[in-house]
Formats: sequence, structure tokens, C-alpha cells
Amino acid sequence: MKKTINIPLGSQHISLLEPVRFKFECENEKIVGVDSDVGFVHRGVEKACTTRFKYDAVGYVVARVCGLCAITHSLSYTVAIEQLLDVEVSKKAKYLRVLLLELDRIHSHMLCLSHTCESAGFEAMFMRIMGDRELIMEIQELLTGNRIQFDYISIGGVNRDISLETAKKIVNSLDIVKQKVLGYIDEFTNNWSLSLKFKGIGALTLDEAYRFNAIGPLARASGLHIDVRNEIEYLPYKELGFKMQTHTDGDINARNIIRLNEILNSLEMCNNILAGVPEGEIVVKSKGKPSGESLVRFEAPRGELMYFVKGNATAMLDRVRIKTPTFSSIPAFSHIFMGENYADAPAILASFDPCLSCTAK
Amino acid sequence: MRKIKVALENIVDEIKDFYDYKLWHFLTINGVALEDNKLEVQWIFSKYEALDDVMVYYVECDYKDLIPSVVEIIPSAIISQREIIDMFGVKVEGSEKGLYLDEDSLQAPLSGCSI
Repeated sequence: MKKTINIPLGSQHISLLEPVRFKFECENEKIVGVDSDVGFVHRGVEKACTTRFKYDAVGYVVARVCGLCAITHSLSYTVAIEQLLDVEVSKKAKYLRVLLLELDRIHSHMLCLSHTCESAGFEAMFMRIMGDRELIMEIQELLTGNRIQFDYISIGGVNRDISLETAKKIVNSLDIVKQKVLGYIDEFTNNWSLSLKFKGIGALTLDEAYRFNAIGPLARASGLHIDVRNEIEYLPYKELGFKMQTHTDGDINARNIIRLNEILNSLEMCNNILAGVPEGEIVVKSKGKPSGESLVRFEAPRGELMYFVKGNATAMLDRVRIKTPTFSSIPAFSHIFMGENYADAPAILASFDPCLSCTAK
Repeated sequence: MRKIKVALENIVDEIKDFYDYKLWHFLTINGVALEDNKLEVQWIFSKYEALDDVMVYYVECDYKDLIPSVVEIIPSAIISQREIIDMFGVKVEGSEKGLYLDEDSLQAPLSGCSI
């Protein structure tokens, strides 16, 4: 009979920034069993949305579900409400919404890439990416007034306009970021240390991605063509130059390459927006109270985010359901660890880019 | 969003007939508290690479009903099943409580009645 030992990773661990606990059953270094616990920070956001806040304030509440993808949360909820109120948002507001969504994706992907480098012991690369990421945080502050947790989205549009001068500054910064990212691609592709730590490690096959309903960069790195930006019509992604990025290796390296290519595509879309922000109002007024059911999906940096909203023609909603990307990915995460070395667990986990603030909401 | 109402006892068979894992992406299981101490449970799917094609199978049941498990058809549904147990205080076949809420937490916060 083989002896196994149980080794926990989390809920507080040097390589883990999020409150999640994995319990690994190991035979020597090899992981042969995985148990996960994600319930450390449940905050009752869904309950608060239907009991404490009126529908027009809920968009600002759900922006607090996650610091990194606040814009995706508030936009998903707001679009769900706009569908119930039959509000048609101006083209300008749609462009500005996509601009913020993609900026959010860029800095979130940069954060993930820096952490995967840190977990591989490449501290200098971690600091380099985090330093460069400040350029995006500054752009977000310029556009919204805040580096994170910005209350930019409102029912009917957005809360702040963009000036020509601001647009020019952003284009210059984005050009610098693009050059930095091209440099990262060279490092991630050719650096021997990173290759040793990432290539062939923590792989998910295409069939497993289907079976575990993987989403986001995790799924696309395995060759699964799933990106909500490709499956929705309420934002003009196709005319702005969205291109789905996929890979076939399914390992940590593939997930890194997917994120790097997505950053380049997001930069391209941001430039396309800034080159031709349409004229018009940034917000239109809405009338009435939300009634009926609405289900909206958006592609957050970590994958598909879903909001289900049920209104009853009063100011208080019956139901706000938030399905976050990391929540859906937990079964796939647990599967990927099986058969891997315990020493690789932190790098594998970092490559998932988990967000437990979202998951436990 | 297309919604199809199914009897509780038929939900597993309906999903088994419908679900092609390479055609449909399973999103989640959702609960909605209804009036008269009833609960609507939804199994939500979206079609890969299709524009806004979302399919919802749903049942209306009592809180005391045992909700059948779809884990044999959709392995990743396990976490969604555990979530509705915590949030609504229902029982789901083969799934345990305690995903989010500890024993001393407020129980079943989203249920429309006292369990």
C-alpha cells in the first residue's frame, strides 16, 4: 500500500494572494488527490443587492465584488437593467465602455503574468511587469478618476466624457505599453528559466476543457473557442477589431501566451476606439422600473461573467445572480493539479489567475 | 434567453437528452425564490460560438424537495449544486453543504421563507 501525505496550500500562503485552500494528497512529490475550499470571504453581495439597495444603486455595489474587474461587474449588471428598461445606449457610450473593459483586461492580465513570473522565482520580471502596469492604472485614473473600483458605468451610458487631449495622452501611453508587451513575449517565449517552469506543466487538454466547462484564457489555451466577446451583440467588438486568441498546448506557457496576445489585441481595440470616438451623448435617461428577467454575459479578464436579474416593477429587485469566472473554473483547477508535482502547484495556481473575491462575493 | 419548464422528476433525463458537451457550455445553476414558499431552479447553458444563444431549463419546486444531481452528465456542476444548497437551504442529491457558509453563519440567506 502506498503512503500518502496531505499538504495544504492556503488559505494563507506565501505564493497565494487569495483566500482559497487546496488540500493536496501527495505520493512523494506527486499530487494524487485535491480538495478545495473557497468559502472564506462570503460577503452576501447578492442578498444586499435585493434587500439594501435600490436597482439604480446596485451597479455601484456590484463594482465592489472585485477590485480588478470592477468595470465588468458594473457593466454586466447595468446592461441587464438596460435590457429590462428597454434603454438604447449611444454608440459613443458603447465605445467608451469597451475602452474601459479592455484597459481592465490589460492590467489584469499583466498582474497575472507578473505573479506567474514571481512563482517561478523570476522576481525581476515580476517587478518589471508591475512597474509597466502603472501606465494602464494611470490611464484608468485619467479616464475615471480612480485607479481601481471606478464608478464609471451608469444606467444609460457612462459617467465621464473623454477629451481630445486625454485621448492623445492615452494613445502615447498605449504605444509604450505595446513595446513593453512585445518585450515580454520575447522573454516568455525564449527565457530558459521560464520555459523550464511553464512548458508542459499544468496542462488541460481540449476534451478536458470541454468536459469541465473551462472558460477564459484557461479554455482558450487548450484550444477551446470560447470568448463571450465573440458571442454578444450589445457591444461593438467585431467592428473594433476583436480577434479570439487560442493555443493548443494547454499548459502554463500557453496560458501566458494567450494573455500576452490578448493584451496586444486589447491595445489594438483601444487604439481603434481612440482613433474614432463617435459624437453624441455619453448617457441617455431611462424611465420606469425594471420588470421581468434578464441574463447578460460578458468576458471578464478571467472568463465568462454572468448576471441574472429579475425585477418586479419596483425599485427593489427580486433577484441578482452573479456567476463569476473563477467560480466556474474551480472543478477544472482541481483536475489540472492531479498528477503534477507539488513544487509546481504555486505556478499552476498563479496561471489560473484565480479571484476569490469574485468567487465568494 | 429561451426557457423550458420541466417537471422536477424529469429534469435529469431532459438535460441528458439536450446536453452535448461540445455544443453547449454549462454556465451555472441558479435559484430564484418565488411566492408561496416555492423555488425556481434553473440550469443555464450557452451555445459555443453562437450569438446570444442561452438555454435555461427550469423547475418549480418546494424547498423540501430533493433536487436531482446532474454531476454524472456535467461534472463541473458540482460547485453550483453546493452553492444553491448554501444559499437556498435545499437538498441536492449527493452534494453537501458548506461551500460558503459555516455552521454558525446565517443559513439559506436567499430563500424566500424560513427553512
